[in-house]
Amino acid sequence: MDGIHDLGGMHGFGPVVREEDEPVFHHPWEKRAFGLEFFTGSRIGVTGDEGRHAIERLAPATYLTASYYEKWMLALQLLLEEHGVLTAEQIEQRMAELAENAHG
Amino acid sequence: MGELTAQKMAEIIERGSTKRRPDAATPPRFAVGDKVRTRNDHPPHHTRLPRYAMGRTGEIVMIHGTFLLPDSNSRHLGEKPQHCYGVRFTGKELWGAEGHPADRVVLDLFDDYLEPA
Amino acid sequence: MSENHRHNAPESDIALRVKAMEQLLTEKGIVDPAAIDLVVDYYETRVGPRNGARVVARAWSDPAYHERLMQDATAAIAELGFSGLQGEDMVVLENTPEVHNVVVCTLCSCYPWPVLGLPPTWYKSPPYRARIVREPRKVLAEFGMDVGDDVEVRVWDSSAELRYMVLPMRPEGTDGLSEDELAARVTRDGMIGVAPV
Repeated sequence: MDGIHDLGGMHGFGPVVREEDEPVFHHPWEKRAFGLEFFTGSRIGVTGDEGRHAIERLAPATYLTASYYEKWMLALQLLLEEHGVLTAEQIEQRMAELAENAHG
Repeated sequence: MGELTAQKMAEIIERGSTKRRPDAATPPRFAVGDKVRTRNDHPPHHTRLPRYAMGRTGEIVMIHGTFLLPDSNSRHLGEKPQHCYGVRFTGKELWGAEGHPADRVVLDLFDDYLEPA
Repeated sequence: MSENHRHNAPESDIALRVKAMEQLLTEKGIVDPAAIDLVVDYYETRVGPRNGARVVARAWSDPAYHERLMQDATAAIAELGFSGLQGEDMVVLENTPEVHNVVVCTLCSCYPWPVLGLPPTWYKSPPYRARIVREPRKVLAEFGMDVGDDVEVRVWDSSAELRYMVLPMRPEGTDGLSEDELAARVTRDGMIGVAPV
């Protein structure tokens, strides 16, 4: 697929930005994302290559602006929808409930 | 999954999940030193041949053995195991005049991506 | 980016999304939060560049091990107890005065987890993936490494299932050092190939 993921040789990205003493994960949610990615695919019949392709199918602007684990989770949501495991509405509704409880 | 312990988790991770498929071994079509040209078909599906290396001529430098083909596996069309080769390209071949004369790029490419050059 | 002063701030969209997905997948019996804890702990504490540094130090110290490492990297690395996911099929690339090796995954983020741990953000970032195959010497110079015009720069784009680790050149003046002392000199960036050791 001639997607935005196929970055080799592209011009215009500027310097490689590095972080001193970078931690393995930057936020608690990244740990949970890593674990969800680790287990979910094989449990719902997604091949590893299919999982990679889901990341490649994210909208180009999203691909370039989302963080690494954010891309993983947006692609995982796509796969959960496509494999009939969860709907976007279910996820959005649970998010709203969690936000509501946090305020209450 | 409730039975999982740290030790069992370590065993699962350290065993891994190779994509190598040795049972599918057939003689490789190419030998080290052979010149090959990559296909230039821009498939709409998942593939491991990047755009910058499409339609380019390189040289086989490694024969890795047989592995499942991601192009096929990603679409649930079977593993289609086949040889994977390390193919070396010059910077000039990939980038034209801009390429440094002493730069090389090696890609791991599946048999389906290659034809004799 | 610290979250220390954000106790009362609402959680970000992505943090909420991940929490919602974990809850829903747990309720469906697809994931187990305790298992997620275990896998996260493994990758935070059990793997990292210290593993690869031990491989390099052994190769520098033991010619027979070096020979095995170049012949069958996966088996030689497993001798030291490192193996598994994202390192099932390993290749070690030896730097010489004539050839400098550097590793990338332009299409994604492939990286040898058992020996180097999870990749740093820059390795997965568009600038590195876009530029290292096209202008490797400029990128290496930005990392502080000047490579002479007569030295071949060989960039390995991990496009399939092989995972690559660079065996840096042993620094001068290290003849008397023990394997442990040598391992302490080896850096992650040296084993990716973006820095000398």
